[in-house]
Amino acid sequence: MKHLSKEQLIEHYYGEDGADVKHHLEICRECADAYAALGRDLGALKAPEAPDRASLYGEQVWGSISNSLPAYRARGGSWQRAGLWRKIGYAAACVLLIAGAFLTGGRWERKQSPITATGDDAQIKQPVVLVVLGDHLDRSERLLIELKHADASSAAAVFPLSEEARDLLPANRRCRQSAMQIDDPSLASVLDDLDRVLAELANEPGGLSASAITRLQTEMNTDGLLFEIRVLRTRVPDKNRSGIVQSREEHYEN
Amino acid sequence: MWQMAENDHAVVQAILSGDRDAYRTLVVRHSQSLFRLAFRITGNEADAEEVVQEAFLHGYQKLDSFQSRSSFGTWIYRIAVRCALDRMDQRKMGVAGGVAEEIDAQRESAHTADQSAGPERLLLSREIGSMQEAAMHSLTPIERTAFVLRHMENLTTGEIGSALGVAPNAAKQAVFRAVQKLRRRLADLRENP
Repeated sequence: MKHLSKEQLIEHYYGEDGADVKHHLEICRECADAYAALGRDLGALKAPEAPDRASLYGEQVWGSISNSLPAYRARGGSWQRAGLWRKIGYAAACVLLIAGAFLTGGRWERKQSPITATGDDAQIKQPVVLVVLGDHLDRSERLLIELKHADASSAAAVFPLSEEARDLLPANRRCRQSAMQIDDPSLASVLDDLDRVLAELANEPGGLSASAITRLQTEMNTDGLLFEIRVLRTRVPDKNRSGIVQSREEHYEN
Repeated sequence: MWQMAENDHAVVQAILSGDRDAYRTLVVRHSQSLFRLAFRITGNEADAEEVVQEAFLHGYQKLDSFQSRSSFGTWIYRIAVRCALDRMDQRKMGVAGGVAEEIDAQRESAHTADQSAGPERLLLSREIGSMQEAAMHSLTPIERTAFVLRHMENLTTGEIGSALGVAPNAAKQAVFRAVQKLRRRLADLRENP
């Protein structure tokens, strides 16, 4: 019988697990004992009693900060103007970041495949954001395909996965924020899942071992995520879809 | 609670329309709960007070980005979590030092939970409290914060991730690591008090 992991026991203690753990605890004495010990240890850890604050504590806090607070002005006031300039600055920074990501992505693409992307005038007119999102999804798709076929015994094959995941993480977070801002929950949800996989890939302690790869593939359902990204990719207008991803997939399949 | 949240939204609108002093209502209303949270995370009275002030300052500065989808209480709570985490990071790096000597004395007084209990029980309570605090010191700031939010504040993994600005899985891993370390440390302390 396969025993429960420490993580499963802790999750169960905090009520974040499936019913199968409860069932296992009913039939496995060893796990039940381990769970009871965990319960005793955690049960003994109480929240420290915060020292009492006087009833006027809130007033004291207000007194200590009130002089540092400039008044907001009704629409168009200094804070709003400052906010507007911040937003303009932020937008300019985003454009620079997007351009940087686009160039980096392009370079990576050229490095990974001899096939050169081609474009036409209509594609050039596409909104930059969509191009970046499409590019990001392409790169993520390639990463997941490589993960799917990764040979964990070869450090040379596995190391670039962690590097690429680290490279993709910031862009993924920006895309996820944009998805939330434009209120696209399905895109945000997929990018959220992707974020977890990228974070795990980038930060796997001790590098990517065979067991770590298998765990990622099963626990994080990377095949399912790959499918979702492909579905999403069809929603984003094509940018230079020259069959790079497809040809790499075919390369692995063959 | 719902009515209070409704009132909070009205107060926020008043502040954004130029009524700076309306913020006082929110500060008075939420200071006590933020202090309890900050104390649990930092384990230190002076730091907790600093965190409360910083949280309200940051809250005011970002008030125009507050969206009415969540309650002001939840929003300022998250800001306080981040401030507490920053505070502990600073302390770890030695930037916000200078209060370390006071910490033990404060903790001592903080754990005298029930003054009406008998002397033996009081002694036992103090002993357990100091062991717990010693064990908590073995955690990194993010592990400690994640553990406090999970174990003492009863937040879900998703909520912890959101409060800490990390993915839910990272929050879950932080809680796991914290629990494992605490159990090991407590076992050591029981064997070698």
